[in-house]
Amino acid sequence: MSALPASVRPQLSMTQVLLCGAAIVTLSMGIRHGFGLWLQPITMDRGWSRETFAFAIAVQNLAWGAAGPIAGALADRFGAFRVLIAGSLLYAAGLVLMGLATSGLAFTGSAGIMLGLAQSGTTYAVVYGVIGRNVAPEKRSWAMGVAAAAGSFGQFLMVPVENWLIADFGWQQALFLLGCVSLAIIPLALGLKEPPFEKLTGIQQSVGHALREAFAYPSFRLLMAGYFVCGFQVVFIGVHMPSYLRDHGLSPDVATTALALIGLFNVIGTYAAGSLGQRLPKRFILSSIYILRSVAIVIFLSVPLTPWSVYIFSAVMGVLWLSTVPPTNAVVAQIFGVQYLSMLGGFVFFSHQIGSFLGVWLGGKLYDTSGSYDVVWWIAVALGIFAALVNLPVRESAIVRAAPAAA
Amino acid sequence: MKRALAWTVATVALLLVFAAYLRPDMAMALATQLWNCF
Repeated sequence: MSALPASVRPQLSMTQVLLCGAAIVTLSMGIRHGFGLWLQPITMDRGWSRETFAFAIAVQNLAWGAAGPIAGALADRFGAFRVLIAGSLLYAAGLVLMGLATSGLAFTGSAGIMLGLAQSGTTYAVVYGVIGRNVAPEKRSWAMGVAAAAGSFGQFLMVPVENWLIADFGWQQALFLLGCVSLAIIPLALGLKEPPFEKLTGIQQSVGHALREAFAYPSFRLLMAGYFVCGFQVVFIGVHMPSYLRDHGLSPDVATTALALIGLFNVIGTYAAGSLGQRLPKRFILSSIYILRSVAIVIFLSVPLTPWSVYIFSAVMGVLWLSTVPPTNAVVAQIFGVQYLSMLGGFVFFSHQIGSFLGVWLGGKLYDTSGSYDVVWWIAVALGIFAALVNLPVRESAIVRAAPAAA
Repeated sequence: MKRALAWTVATVALLLVFAAYLRPDMAMALATQLWNCF
């Protein structure tokens, strides 16, 4: 019996990987984050309903999640830089076609499917594979925290930037400009070009074996269950909190400040979670994040709703927002090694996106049937407790498997 | 020294972006969008 190697001899410098990887996720996560700003100008200009726009964005999120494992497998097999270049070209084409689409179907194809596929090839799972293979295990969680913080900063930064682009250039030109910006991923991807993994280690684990191994391993399924809850809570709050605040009579600028605070503290939280992952067992970090989210929601619902209660809740939730990303991916690398890290990370992320979809959909559905968000808030609390519990038994040590038979 | 400089740059960048959200035109635009979504 032998343990899979937790790492291979790094081929790229850590600084190079972090600079290029962080810049890529800053761009890819940032560009997509402000898409809501196009809702009003596009629907007014094209004479579409909001449902047309919302449907395309929902398809984008699902396509992003569903294509994640495939993009990850391609990155692990053929090199992340190739997938990043293809993703960048798809991103640029999707943004341009989004601006040119004159029918709902074309809009769904471009803003939904093309951009969803582009995101699957340019975001965390693909970049984390390179980080995993080129950063020593004792610094990996921290490095993933740096990349996640960069993605969070991109989200935080690009909303005002995109708002300015739309105001100064018009919504269509703004999309074309963003298309050009997304091409900057191509030169950055060249900084993540690695030699094939098999040549470095001589290990020939097949994709099918890696998948069977992961899905048969209880800890992988537990991580997926936890990440599902992450998606549910984050997207429910991000999408439905503004209307929750409006229903309770708070002014629009409270919601705007709340989202800004979530963005600001998200950067701090993701970096802190990655750094803590170097010192503490990651299952305890994940468990703490989920239970703290539940506690924060219970307190938020229990105290009188004022602008300050919203700001404090937003700051706390911001710290806990994407802080699950570095420890979750670092545990996957720790257990299964780094050969198929992007693919396995893609599968875990897929469960996150299913949770995201349910968070948005169930939030709206239960609001329509019950007339309030109370039920969904309490579902979010219960799911947080569930996720805290399922992360506790996760085994972080490298999986032990039979050594290949001698030829 | 390098470390302190990196933290200072990061803090200033975060605060500048946060300030951008609080500009009246930005707050107005975001609020309009948020409210129009629902």
